[in-house]
Amino acid sequence: MIEIIVNGTRTTIPNGLNVKEAVSALEYKGKGFALALNGTFVAVATYETTMVRDNDSIEILAPVQGG
Amino acid sequence: MTKHIATKTDTWEIGGKTLSSRLLIGSALYPSPANMEDAIKISGAQIVTVALRRQAAGNTDAKGGNDFWDIIKSFGIEVLPNTAGSHSAKEAINTALMAREVFGTNWIKLEVIGDQYNLQPDPFETVKAAEVLIKEGFEVFPYTTDDLVVAKRLADVGCKILMPWGSMIGSGKGLMNPDNLIAIRKQFPDLQLVVDAGIGKPSHATQAMELGYDGVLLNSAIALAQDPVKMADAFRVAVEAGRLGYEAGVMQEREFASPSTPTVGTPFWHQFT
Repeated sequence: MIEIIVNGTRTTIPNGLNVKEAVSALEYKGKGFALALNGTFVAVATYETTMVRDNDSIEILAPVQGG
Repeated sequence: MTKHIATKTDTWEIGGKTLSSRLLIGSALYPSPANMEDAIKISGAQIVTVALRRQAAGNTDAKGGNDFWDIIKSFGIEVLPNTAGSHSAKEAINTALMAREVFGTNWIKLEVIGDQYNLQPDPFETVKAAEVLIKEGFEVFPYTTDDLVVAKRLADVGCKILMPWGSMIGSGKGLMNPDNLIAIRKQFPDLQLVVDAGIGKPSHATQAMELGYDGVLLNSAIALAQDPVKMADAFRVAVEAGRLGYEAGVMQEREFASPSTPTVGTPFWHQFT
């Protein structure tokens, strides 16, 4: 297992996962969100080629009201 | 005899779209989603601002995000995502890239905040982010102050739209520095200018439009009104009135009084001594 931060909260996921697998392991469902890894946007098209490593920080954002 | 009938203002172009409403409306702070929907619809706005925030794990479709997005999509109007909460060019750029993927638009309301107290935009980071985002193919709607030199720098890096503030976000104080806004208008006759932030009353929106601004973006003034739906209607009329007034050409101010009723034939005529 590795320890990562997801939206500011520490959590653990299995080692060796790519972003697509990590998102699934974290139980994020649907398509209406976007993701940044260590502060940098990761496009959906590159989820499977981007690996999640120990101490990585992930932001997962979804639409909300805005001004 | 010519009959004069008040007509709606004509269309305008912004970000490659042709629109008839010059009111840009926010989607936050309403008492309920239904109230938001009614207010946005009656406002006639054709651009609505949205944002991105952290999503709770599990069941994304059911919790907030996609429900809200489905409501917004059902309006059939243009969506303008913002980068609210960003404090650096890097944060704003990455938020914009995420917004483009989620909302499927290259429009971005660029907000890079430089001070937490008055939410004043950081001009240095805003210009830096604007330059990168334009190269990335975004249509940047930069939230800025009414500083002419910052406006110039944003134009220099390719911004076709400028959104100077009227006053602090959510303050409702109206146009703090109309002379500065006029200077920006005069300096950039060909850019699309939208007063963003600080509008509190319909008359503030009218004033901005009378200055020759192309549009007004607001949220709190409608959402925090006692009756947001009625206020949305009031802003619709106010923006139209201001634009019509601008197009009609406002009379020149005078230093002295000048009677409007003819002086010739004045009864009981006498001269003040």
